[in-house]
Amino acid sequence: MSVRPTIAGFALPLALLLSLVVLWPSQSLGQGVHHPFAVGANEGAVASAQGVMGWILAKESGFYRLLSGAIRTAKLNGGAPWGLIALSLGYGIFHAAGPGHGKAVIASYMLANERALRRGLVIAFGAALLQGFTAVAIVGISAIVFQAAAARMTAAANVVEIVSYAGITVLGAVLVTVKGAALLAARRVAPSAVDYAGAGVAGNFRADDCTEDHLHGPGCSHFHAPDPLTLGAGFSWKSAALTMLAAGARPCSGAILVLVFALAQGIFSAGIFAVLAMSLGTAITTAALASTAVFAKNTAVKYATPGSRRSLMAGRLFEFAAASAVLGLGITLLLAVLAGGTGAS
Amino acid sequence: MLFVGISAGAAAAHPHVWVTARAQVVFNTQGQIEAIRNAWVFDEMYSAFATQGIGKDGQLLSKDELAPLAKTNVESLEEFDYFTYAKAASQKIEFGAPADYSLEQRQDKLVVLRFTLPLKTPTSATRAFSFQVYDPTYFVAFEMEKDNPVSLAGAPKGCSINVLGSNPLAASDTKKLSESFFSGLSPGTDFGVKLASRIIVACP
Ligand SMILES: [Zn+2]
Ligand SMILES: [Zn+2]
Repeated sequence: MSVRPTIAGFALPLALLLSLVVLWPSQSLGQGVHHPFAVGANEGAVASAQGVMGWILAKESGFYRLLSGAIRTAKLNGGAPWGLIALSLGYGIFHAAGPGHGKAVIASYMLANERALRRGLVIAFGAALLQGFTAVAIVGISAIVFQAAAARMTAAANVVEIVSYAGITVLGAVLVTVKGAALLAARRVAPSAVDYAGAGVAGNFRADDCTEDHLHGPGCSHFHAPDPLTLGAGFSWKSAALTMLAAGARPCSGAILVLVFALAQGIFSAGIFAVLAMSLGTAITTAALASTAVFAKNTAVKYATPGSRRSLMAGRLFEFAAASAVLGLGITLLLAVLAGGTGAS
Repeated sequence: MLFVGISAGAAAAHPHVWVTARAQVVFNTQGQIEAIRNAWVFDEMYSAFATQGIGKDGQLLSKDELAPLAKTNVESLEEFDYFTYAKAASQKIEFGAPADYSLEQRQDKLVVLRFTLPLKTPTSATRAFSFQVYDPTYFVAFEMEKDNPVSLAGAPKGCSINVLGSNPLAASDTKKLSESFFSGLSPGTDFGVKLASRIIVACP
């Protein structure tokens, strides 16, 4: 028991910090679609030039710069382009560690909604693979089928981007509604701390009859954490699917460039291999982030003074804040991309 | 707080486009700097992207075929100050609309964008004239050409060029890690400018 305050003191700030790190860069936006050399959709947000971010950027650029050479080599050698695949995987890992890539959406969604790690991983992988497929579809359809020029391709990617940002906004709105309702319910249902303090039953509330590894039967009147199923709305595949869609629909500039280049070299299939490997790399990074989000949240909720009304409220406030962050992110990105589309400043 | 991003405006993440740049500083008959001519060579992936779907397969594109694209590129560069930032006697230099711009596809299939950027008011180079070419959003990574990155046209006798290399991300950046890791994630990154070479033109 004595370790709990320490862990709680560590885990809750960790969770908050994580959400901050994830969300903060996303608040500033990618360049508008009017960027003179825009490729496909807009890129993510601002990155720091320093420290870890600087290092990630350098790695990412390094991998990426080697890709064109690897595509040429794949063309010369024929066979399975393992070098290209390995490079693309590395690029994907570092690329996703930078800003953008729906990572913020996924992490916030995890913080707001998700405590089951496995589902988090499914969402992370689903979103990353979808992103790869979108790039392949956009380049495949516009370049191969319609022989479209770059501007058209960018326009197509832009439509997908707007849809994706609208999706993030909808997801945010859904989460805010659900989490807002849960927050209000917690206020209403949970007994007030004053009542308990006054009645002197705080000890009972801690459920002395339960061991550490116990089941929460109806007789056991405490909880370690708000169970998703008791939060008014439990997990829904609908919101998970929406998350995957919103986070993963937007194609990546890097993938589009690789595909078009491979197409120009006459080996589109090598480009597809590369993009799928990139997606896998992106998925690995996003999954790591999603796991951290879930872990931090679970830890925070679990060890914050168990059973207290305060911890229930804190948990729900936390989720509500994360849900608001998703909504804010969606609105911000949507406004920016719409503003960019009209060429406004 | 979530909406500060909108005002933060254009600022991107990491380069997807690499440009090798060359510049020419153009003097008028009074010996003042009147324009900067840019020539930007795009990397092979972006070159393939830019020329995708234009012209016939396998053939090099003509300047005419690329003219519409050149126009679009140059026009949309305006909002980004043509990625060209100049100062004379520590005063910011204003540029007018670019003249004689073109795109060409070289033999090696790389695409080159050329345009001349006239100074609104020609300026003397006797007092520290310097400029940099970079994309502040760092979507495009600019790098000056290794040999002869900058030349002078019609310069008075004794004018010289000095290209100060990019400031590499030095150890000091790593040192700043602790405090910058979180604060540094805020908008307004200076990555593009940090990596940009500074070109100094000095005339007697
Ligand atoms: Zn990117
Ligand atoms: Zn990307």
